[in-house]
Amino acid sequence: MGAFWLDFGIASAILFVAYNIFKIFFLKYFKNQAKVKSRVINLIVFLLIIYTFVIVYQTAQEKFGDRALAYMILQFINQIPNIASLALATTAIVLIYKTSTTTNFAQSMMATFGAYSAAKAVQYIGANYQWTTTTTVIVALFAGSFVAFLLGVFIDTVIIRYSKDKTPIGKQMITMGLVIILMGLMPMIFGFNSSNNPLVIPQLFPATEKVPLTFLNTWGIIEMQLSMTKHSLYILIFSVFLLVLLFSLLRFTKWGLGVRATASNERVASMMGVNTKLITALSWGIAGFLGGVAAIIKAPTDINPALMVSTQVNGFVAAVLGSFTSFSGPLIASILIPLLQGLMVSLVGNWNFTVVYAIILAFVLIKPEGLFGKKVDKKV
Amino acid sequence: MTYETKMKNTYKNKLKSMVKHPYFGFFVITIIMLLVQVLRVAGVDVANQTLRAFGKTMIYIIVGLGFSILLGFGGLASLGTAGFVGLGAYLLGYFTNNKGYSVFLIILITIVVAIIVGTVVGFISLRIEGMYLAIITLAIAEIINEVFTNWTAFSNGIDGMIVNNRIVLFNKYIVLDPNVVFVAISLALLLMMIITFNIMKSPTGRALLAMRNSTSAAQAMGISIFKYRLLAFIVSTVYAMLAGVLYLTYIPSTFPVPGDWTLNLSLLILAAVIVGGSRSIYGIIMGTFLIFGFDLAVLSNRNNFGGYFVEHPEISIMLNGVLIILVIMFYRGGLIRLVNTVIAFIKRLFLKLKNKWKEYRYGPDSE
Repeated sequence: MGAFWLDFGIASAILFVAYNIFKIFFLKYFKNQAKVKSRVINLIVFLLIIYTFVIVYQTAQEKFGDRALAYMILQFINQIPNIASLALATTAIVLIYKTSTTTNFAQSMMATFGAYSAAKAVQYIGANYQWTTTTTVIVALFAGSFVAFLLGVFIDTVIIRYSKDKTPIGKQMITMGLVIILMGLMPMIFGFNSSNNPLVIPQLFPATEKVPLTFLNTWGIIEMQLSMTKHSLYILIFSVFLLVLLFSLLRFTKWGLGVRATASNERVASMMGVNTKLITALSWGIAGFLGGVAAIIKAPTDINPALMVSTQVNGFVAAVLGSFTSFSGPLIASILIPLLQGLMVSLVGNWNFTVVYAIILAFVLIKPEGLFGKKVDKKV
Repeated sequence: MTYETKMKNTYKNKLKSMVKHPYFGFFVITIIMLLVQVLRVAGVDVANQTLRAFGKTMIYIIVGLGFSILLGFGGLASLGTAGFVGLGAYLLGYFTNNKGYSVFLIILITIVVAIIVGTVVGFISLRIEGMYLAIITLAIAEIINEVFTNWTAFSNGIDGMIVNNRIVLFNKYIVLDPNVVFVAISLALLLMMIITFNIMKSPTGRALLAMRNSTSAAQAMGISIFKYRLLAFIVSTVYAMLAGVLYLTYIPSTFPVPGDWTLNLSLLILAAVIVGGSRSIYGIIMGTFLIFGFDLAVLSNRNNFGGYFVEHPEISIMLNGVLIILVIMFYRGGLIRLVNTVIAFIKRLFLKLKNKWKEYRYGPDSE
């Protein structure tokens, strides 16, 4: 661990000095100074991230010899369920931020509500119908996500719609209140997870069922035979499908245009004939849906109210890192964070979460507007 | 002796000036708290649970007082409170168990550590705009929890650190009697209330208030926003960590476990401050008693309501959330505003009745 910090510190110090030299001597030759500055900082951050990967690779090489690359790819594959659920949760958080200008702390609880409903659906189907596990799980997945969708719409129409004139921090605290309400509500509705009330979503594919990744061998990247579980493969496909669907909806449909208009200025958007109420409600619903899917992906077995809390913290950090003002930034950050956390295990052991958070906080100190954010000028 | 000084020295006027003094209410609250303990020692049947609930609530009031300077005055919502309370508790445990430091030294160390931690955390989290502060502090609380879990030499890991109310006083290990600590906590609360009152009425507090109403206007008047926000953050951190120290000395035979200091506690403290009224000391006391005290003393007692709320703890949790939302949406100002409204109403009613009686007694006003 010590060696890692030393290397990392020296690398950051060199880059910092280089950045300052650039700022003092070369920045004046550029026309759009702010843009160039932000790009240079991004470049430095990416260099640091690449450098971290290199350090991880070197350590892996010391341990595993020429199987180091295979080890790194394996780490990536292992993190796929985490990355998928984090990407969905982060997108949901950003979507709500865009339309309601608040950071939704209740996102994790909405998601867990979806997972609980899915588990209840599994229980109900198991008691009343003779369906196969696959059908049950798929039906439960959609049922749970749909319940989360309805919950999101409900929260917006009952509470958030009427708190438009509150300050951003006031709205934030309303969502914190929602966290407490949902935390109490879930055990009341669904009961506690126990032996006579098992709340379980069975895994569609057992962990032994694996898909060999032969293309890695045929392309000559690694020698070793690698495989990923069928479970994570389907998770990957499903979440990529959902995200592509969402992004194309945002890009090409009227609803997406409405979301973007609402995000830029809600008042003007509503004056121009955009039904902002409907758009906000739908956004909350979709955020609930995405959260529900993320929770169900993350919880194949045991469900408790604290299921999504760590994912939510990660999601917020990813959104800060990638900047709340863009959709793609948080997505990239939400892929990076679990990956770094997974890779750091070989370097720093149990301290992986702490180290990754510390690095991100240091980054926030340097560039508060995030990786892809623009500095917003304040109006007085 | 002039007439004025003579009038000043009459008992009635002396009492009047005493009652009007801003500290009077704080002393009354402390005396009420002490009375509970005295009654218990004197043999009146005060349930043990009720007494403990009072003590715990007072500790949370101290946290809430610090939080009110951050939230009510600074306008910053932080979710790292629980982490800081935990850090205070761990510091006491570590220095008592492993180093054998005196409790006064530990309190000093705690304050220094709180100032350092508050400065570092504040520097990071105040770099970005107010709304993201909650997120960054949430991440920092997570880091603190990770440290508790992983740094076993400091915290003994997830098993928790066994302290058993032991402290070191004058080079001797002493096992504390909760009844004595209760008195100490009451006095600490009194001190904290007085300090908070002075911070609130000082130029710092007024600068924070100006900032809260309009950052731009405050900036135009020459108030350094970053400086005062950082100051508010440091103050709230110091309060939280001192409360953590008190917590560990009071709760009998407890030991800190990483799982105790999660988001849940931070949210409940936030609820207490908001529901009570984030800018008033009395409001915070009422809010904390409603959120923590009522739950600890009444609802979690098996004898009340046939043990219904013991079997369904989620109902009281839910009510806290509903209260937060109701207060923010419809009644900014919280309980203290309600109380003030009622007092003003009674005063007006009293004045009206007095005038009526005068009219009846002396006849209607001739003019």
